[in-house]
Amino acid sequence: MSNSSFGRRLWVSWAGFITLLLIWQIISVMKLINPVVFPSPTGVIKAALTDVPLNRLLQHIGISLLRVVLGFTIGATLGIIIGIVSGWYYRLGRVLWAPIDLIRPIPPLAWIPLAIIWLGLGEPSKVLIIFLGAFFPIVTNTYKGMVNIEPNIIRAAQSLGLQGRRLLLRVAIPASLPDIATGMRVGWSYSFGCMVAAELIAARSGLGYLIMHARQTGQIAVIVYGVILIGVINLLTDFVMQESIIKRKLKWQFLSTS
Amino acid sequence: MKRSVRHSKNGKIFGLSEYIIKIITIIILIILWEFFSRVGYLSPLRFPRPSKLAITLWELMTVGYPIGITVWLHIKATVCRILQGYLLAAAFAIPMGLIIGRSYLLEQAANPVITFARSVATISLLPLAIAWFGVDELSRILLIAYGCYWVILTNTIQGVKQVDINFINAGRMLGASRRQLFFRVILPATLPRIFAGMKIALGVGFMVIIAVEMIGTIQGLGALIQQARFYYSSDIAIDGMIFIGILGLLISIVLDRLEQIMLPWAVGLEEVER
Repeated sequence: MSNSSFGRRLWVSWAGFITLLLIWQIISVMKLINPVVFPSPTGVIKAALTDVPLNRLLQHIGISLLRVVLGFTIGATLGIIIGIVSGWYYRLGRVLWAPIDLIRPIPPLAWIPLAIIWLGLGEPSKVLIIFLGAFFPIVTNTYKGMVNIEPNIIRAAQSLGLQGRRLLLRVAIPASLPDIATGMRVGWSYSFGCMVAAELIAARSGLGYLIMHARQTGQIAVIVYGVILIGVINLLTDFVMQESIIKRKLKWQFLSTS
Repeated sequence: MKRSVRHSKNGKIFGLSEYIIKIITIIILIILWEFFSRVGYLSPLRFPRPSKLAITLWELMTVGYPIGITVWLHIKATVCRILQGYLLAAAFAIPMGLIIGRSYLLEQAANPVITFARSVATISLLPLAIAWFGVDELSRILLIAYGCYWVILTNTIQGVKQVDINFINAGRMLGASRRQLFFRVILPATLPRIFAGMKIALGVGFMVIIAVEMIGTIQGLGALIQQARFYYSSDIAIDGMIFIGILGLLISIVLDRLEQIMLPWAVGLEEVER
């Protein structure tokens, strides 16, 4: 692609954002709606600079990310292990999937009340919710990947003399890596959403708490700021996930063709 | 489901079918649960026995919780909210998606906005919705609509973009006017994707509503389990979750059926993620 057309594309892709911001600013400058209730973009920037001290903000972001990473790591580890085991050992898989199939239709957020009854208002209940958000997409996709391996790949490996654990580790798991990667990406965005919801409903820190607290004190500009921040962080972390996953996927596909 | 080589045993274990194995497993688990809570290993406050759960289930259906609001009323409230938000979202997202998908420039301009709006967790808009519209039905419905809107929109845009160019060219060659081209070729070819989006959107709406109902209402399944939490009635919370699970399952079954009946040409379509 030539340089100038790339530049034009970049410009066009920002045009949507800029138009929206302009409309937003114009509406609020015309003061059709009370600026306290409907802050302008400049109002939001002002609130961001004055009402939220940077070190407090970084603390909120840090604790939120810590929760997500913790819940996600546990969810991904368990999800991948159970997915692989249940996909590989058929009989055990049927037994393991009976309870999973039973709880899977319940959205993770519906666990919030029970998690609080079980584990109290502290960190464990939030981590449990985030764990559930990550676990189900990852276990489902891993299982799907394990069960849908191209049979000829397995047959080829078997006829070359691979059996048992080596067949699993060298052939079956690498073959289902793309599905595991998909599951991890979906799981990440789910657990991120779960984190926000859990923090809205019961927390004393974190990004969800920041915006819920701002609502109680009536700082709507801070809520808008927080919402945008949550979106940006979600986008950034998803980008990092995607980059690492796509690179892995590409590496895998490269290996399979060469 | 397709099975790998290792699993080509007709799906039978000890001569029993998959479903029977599953049902037996679940029954064994329930019996174990009942046994351990009777022996005293599981605290009755946190893990109420299955028999207790069954009694509570009956009370929820007849007496209701809080008293007078039976579980059927909760389900009705939840379903009404989902449907309103969902239809609102579809009514705006589908025409918008069709317009954006037809124009390369518009799509380029809309893309970053859509990407960003999708990654804003719908739940995080709850405080804003409350501040603007109050703790009210309107804010709940708008939040569901927001969650559903972007999913339907992206799928509609994808659908329009993926229409086989040969269909359009063939239509043009056969002399279709722009209008005919749109209604007779592009729209039907896009419908499967739109439907896929609507399916995912309903799941998203279902997730959103449960969380949204936990704040500021006593009607709806989310409110039911949240009320149960305040009084540490874990039996009601678990029963409420069972109803939520069944409702979610029913919704997805109904949508699958609808798709099979209405769009028989849309077999084997891969879904866009989320």
